[in-house]
Amino acid sequence: MSNVEATPLGEAGTTVQSEAWRGVVASFPVLLGVIPFALVLGAQAAQKGLSVAEVPLMTGLNFAGGSEFAAVKLWSSPPHLVLIATMTFLVNSRHLLMGAALSPYIKHLPKRRACVALFFMCDESWALGMADARRRGAAGIAACFSLPYYLAVCAGMYSTWVVFTALGAAIGPVIGDAEVYGFDLAFPAVFLVLLKGMWHGARAARPWLVSLVVAALTYLVVPGGWYVAAGAVSGIVAAFLWAGKGEQQ
Amino acid sequence: MIDTAIDLRNVVAILLMASATYLTRTLGYVALRNRKLSPRAMAVLESVPGCVLISVIAPAFVSGRPADLIALALTVAAATCLPMLPTVIIGVTAAGLLRQVLN
Repeated sequence: MSNVEATPLGEAGTTVQSEAWRGVVASFPVLLGVIPFALVLGAQAAQKGLSVAEVPLMTGLNFAGGSEFAAVKLWSSPPHLVLIATMTFLVNSRHLLMGAALSPYIKHLPKRRACVALFFMCDESWALGMADARRRGAAGIAACFSLPYYLAVCAGMYSTWVVFTALGAAIGPVIGDAEVYGFDLAFPAVFLVLLKGMWHGARAARPWLVSLVVAALTYLVVPGGWYVAAGAVSGIVAAFLWAGKGEQQ
Repeated sequence: MIDTAIDLRNVVAILLMASATYLTRTLGYVALRNRKLSPRAMAVLESVPGCVLISVIAPAFVSGRPADLIALALTVAAATCLPMLPTVIIGVTAAGLLRQVLN
């Protein structure tokens, strides 16, 4: 890691601009799927009495869609502060794992920069950043996490989310159900392509299967957002047990 | 009329949400930043992204609607051999069309 300072991009012929442009291009298909949800969230929030100023305040400061949908569902006048803060923490608890997985890639960054990078860590920016870092790492690039690439993805996600949730609040009643048009399939599509990029054979993917089965069963049986935590944790426990077996052999 | 009012109680709730979320984003990093990880811990950490991603989309795999399941199957097939943008377009288009036809 000592050559990180000398070659911040780790690859010959790249500039901050070219790396950022790569991020813009990579985030484009993801934004396509985000816009309908942003509009729907804004419209739902407006129905609950949040104003066109308050909606971008929420989506800009919190910037985590799942927790915002949950909070808007629970919103009352006045809002129940403890309930909303607790639900937000629980829905976003997957960030704990995501931040842990990201930390080997960003621990060389100055703390302040890392804290800025983490503020913008959402499912999509994290997944694209991690997938890119792994691909570059596999190609032998020492500083494999590209901060300009990651921040460009974040900038696209952030501006799209804040602008379109505000727009949704403003035009509210015009918007119907995004699911009717099939836009909700954009998320599985994005994540499946990212999973394929992380594929290292069926053996390495066994924990994913555990996660999929446990998350799906939890989703069917337990109401609320618990399925993400249940699926992720059981897959990680499975990975831990399998990794231990591998050491013994 | 566009409502641009700001209610103090709403702002407090939003600030609490933002703090809770930022805590979830930074705690994992703070906990692991200065640790030297064992090979086993690294192997486990390597599997975290896939486990999180597939858990987030797991509900799509147990949708009760045939149209959604067929669209998902097409999306899985597309994801194995196509880049991001065509896969997203195929998934969204297939779901949109199949829901019109089958529902």
